[in-house]
Amino acid sequence: MERGYWIRSKPLYDSLVWKQKATGHVVIAQGEGGIAVLKLFQQMCPREPITLLFADDASTSKNYADIIHTLVPEGVQICDSEQAVLDKLQAQLPNYLMGTQFYVAGSEAFIWDVLAELKVYGVQDINVEKELSGTLARSVYCVHCKTTDRDVHHSIHQCSGCGRHLFVRDHFSRRLGAYMGVMVDAEEPGNIPAKEEIYP
Amino acid sequence: MNMAFKQETFRDDYTYHNSAEAIRRFPFPFAEDEYMYSVNIEQHNGGEPGSVFEHAIDVDEHYVAECEDRRIVLEDDPNRYIALPHMMDAQWDMVELVMESLSRDYPDLFQLTRDGDNWHWINQPLGIDQKFVFGDEATLPMQPCEYITRQVQGDWIILDQRDDDLFADLGMVTSQADWSMAFDAGMSFKEWHGPVPQANELGIFDRALKYLLHLQYGSPVRRLNWTMTINPRLDTSPENYPFWGPDNVSVTPDNVGDKVHLRVELQALFRLPRSNAIAFSVRGYLASINDLTTYPRWAKRLHRVLTNLHPDLSEYKGLDNYRQMVIDHLAPMDDGEELALGTQPE
Amino acid sequence: MSILDVKVADVEQVTEVVKHFTLVQENGEPLPHFSGGSHVVVSMNINGRIHRNPYSLMGSTANTDSYHISVRKQENSRGGSKFMHEQVKPGTRLQITYPVNLFAISKLGHRHILIAGGIGITPFMSQIADLNRLGYDYELHYAYRSPEHGAFREQLEEMCGKRVHFYIDSKGERLDIPALLKQQPLGTHVYTCGPEPMVKALHLHAENLGWPENHVHSEEFTAPPVGDEFTVELAQSGIEVTVPGDMSMLEAMEEAGAEPPFLCRGGACGRCELEVVSCDGLIMHNDHYLSDHEKAEGRSIMPCVSRAKCSKLVVNL
Ligand code: HEM
Ligand code: FES
Repeated sequence: MERGYWIRSKPLYDSLVWKQKATGHVVIAQGEGGIAVLKLFQQMCPREPITLLFADDASTSKNYADIIHTLVPEGVQICDSEQAVLDKLQAQLPNYLMGTQFYVAGSEAFIWDVLAELKVYGVQDINVEKELSGTLARSVYCVHCKTTDRDVHHSIHQCSGCGRHLFVRDHFSRRLGAYMGVMVDAEEPGNIPAKEEIYP
Repeated sequence: MNMAFKQETFRDDYTYHNSAEAIRRFPFPFAEDEYMYSVNIEQHNGGEPGSVFEHAIDVDEHYVAECEDRRIVLEDDPNRYIALPHMMDAQWDMVELVMESLSRDYPDLFQLTRDGDNWHWINQPLGIDQKFVFGDEATLPMQPCEYITRQVQGDWIILDQRDDDLFADLGMVTSQADWSMAFDAGMSFKEWHGPVPQANELGIFDRALKYLLHLQYGSPVRRLNWTMTINPRLDTSPENYPFWGPDNVSVTPDNVGDKVHLRVELQALFRLPRSNAIAFSVRGYLASINDLTTYPRWAKRLHRVLTNLHPDLSEYKGLDNYRQMVIDHLAPMDDGEELALGTQPE
Repeated sequence: MSILDVKVADVEQVTEVVKHFTLVQENGEPLPHFSGGSHVVVSMNINGRIHRNPYSLMGSTANTDSYHISVRKQENSRGGSKFMHEQVKPGTRLQITYPVNLFAISKLGHRHILIAGGIGITPFMSQIADLNRLGYDYELHYAYRSPEHGAFREQLEEMCGKRVHFYIDSKGERLDIPALLKQQPLGTHVYTCGPEPMVKALHLHAENLGWPENHVHSEEFTAPPVGDEFTVELAQSGIEVTVPGDMSMLEAMEEAGAEPPFLCRGGACGRCELEVVSCDGLIMHNDHYLSDHEKAEGRSIMPCVSRAKCSKLVVNL
């Protein structure tokens, strides 16, 4: 029997490491991704220009912005929300050239929000360094009504669009940045297993 | 093949049924008493007259009803057709593939006249008469691939080839065995096959992908896949699982022969010339256990395959609720006689 | 493998060493459609020996009344290009495979930089037809030895307008690859076809400048090199085949009546890969397909371009 398991449709999230070959580096992080950023900057920094976009997670009291600000000498742009990070990234992307390396850290939903922005400029997700930080919460796409709910910690999850109780399958779409949710009691309506927190 | 098109339904009252001839040509997939996934790919360049392999695209007595079922599905959920923007060349390739095949192989039913880029398409069974300019989207009532796949049986997934991989970037999927094009769109070969048990471990996907990357224009290939469906329902999509899910627990020893259908997918792969994409067609054939057991050889074979089936495959295909009931139903028909290799009915 | 019977409709001397051939189908029908960057494999009967060489299709992808290929006469060739230059005339009959594309434009690219060296211009001719038709953003950089070697220059100026740049070596004009790569916006893909040093240089510069591997594309067909004679045993049939020094292993097996698969015949695609059962010497890998690790392991050989220095090689065929 295999130990652990691997979702073949999902990329592996690794620890951020500077790429040796580059003409510039752009680090984009949110919330607990702050730790990944701090670890990254404890490695020997590359000589090429570095830009860092960061926002703390407003929903927790944890704060990394200040320490990042003191630790990272140049190129830091602290934003006050995830959305502000994405907006800033969007505004700056047209200026970057081939050879720029991108690094993302944060929740899975944030990672795929950033990757969606990059995709608009022809940057493919496989060429971006990604580190999943903090929560294992999933975005769940309801295959029945096509609503995507973010920050899902439980299987079974009740869809905010159609109200169905969804079993979260281990099948991930990079295009949607979400896992597939399928009605759990389709065969025997009302027969709904207890919900458990499995994505803390 | 008898071309009296049936008026029948694949939902609600389920009036679908097979003629004796349709049963005889049913692509029964089991050549041996055991089944396991394999790279079962073979040439698809003309088969025996009358068989489902005779033509590149098979048209049979269910043609009109299947196109109607697709129309109903799309009316309810237009997202069963998905087209990413870089696939427009492939869309036109699809128009050419389907129109050329059908008009060549069924000239009494379909006619295509071409004068340069000015094409004239007549589809008699569906009462369509369309003049358009090949390559000019504005001259068709909808996107080219949607237009043409509404006029052909089976699901179609068109794969873009890049980075030594295939990506599901275009598709019309309304009669699938429990997977979603809206969800899988844009995925690579290994990503969309992610949920399949066993096959990856056997190296099947590595070998199949390598083979397909080299698929040549003019040399299509095919394979068979199978599952089981309760009632002759084409749209067993995850999208509509709430509607067909309850059927899975409706099988009883009394209705098993009638309700449980073997669903065989004839999957053909064609390299497309302008786009270098690959068209993957999944044509489903449905036959009830009662249909199949009109041939004792098939009854015995199916009994053995289901008895020996790997539990992971049984679970993945969704057979666990009723597989034993089918086995019990078939058991009295299996005298243990040794069956020679082959899928033939007699 | 589907084969087309064609007839040479026209032969044109383009430069001192390059000839351009127009091929039409013998039965008068249009040829199959194809995508930019495709090639066909041409079979020639040279003194009773069948010789097969890959050539890029150059014409417009929109017009399939005829196919267009160009052949550079290779000095040390084993005969293919020499035969095309000296024996093939209007009216000559040839057989070609259906088109195969191993050098396609990446449809997700936002901008495409094409870099050609010498006769390496040929696959770009059909790619440019596609890029123009699709309205994609591109630039062509074409380097050649001296003014009289600039095959198709006028045609390219017409097709590409301001998008084409020429570099003539004898005039001291050089393409500065790093400078070119450094100024490209995100989403750019680069493609190259030409002499091996140029292809290698592009890959090296692109890597050093942080370009992802899947944004760098090259077409590199190797002509089968000559070598020593050796013997191949086909394990499944027990047939033994002698591979003469001036023939590739693939050709020798074909001549012996075997039908091993192939697509590019240039060590690029991987289709002809054969499992090595045993070899009592060294395998001389000449392909671009197997990784260095696989080459060192020696469990596979690409018979279209690779051979062995041994007395007997046994393959699983
Ligand atoms: C290139 C076109 C192909 C497409 C678009 C395709 C698509 C799919 C999809 C969507 C599934 C369902 C996965 C799920 O449960 O979500 C599937 C299942 C499967 N595919 Fe493919 N496939 C292709 C080619 C192949 C080939 C060439 C092979 C093998 C040699 C193969 C072997 C399988 C197997 C074994 C299954 C499991 C089927 C079952 O047990 O019902 N596929 N395929
Ligand atoms: S035929 Fe392509 S590598 Fe040998």
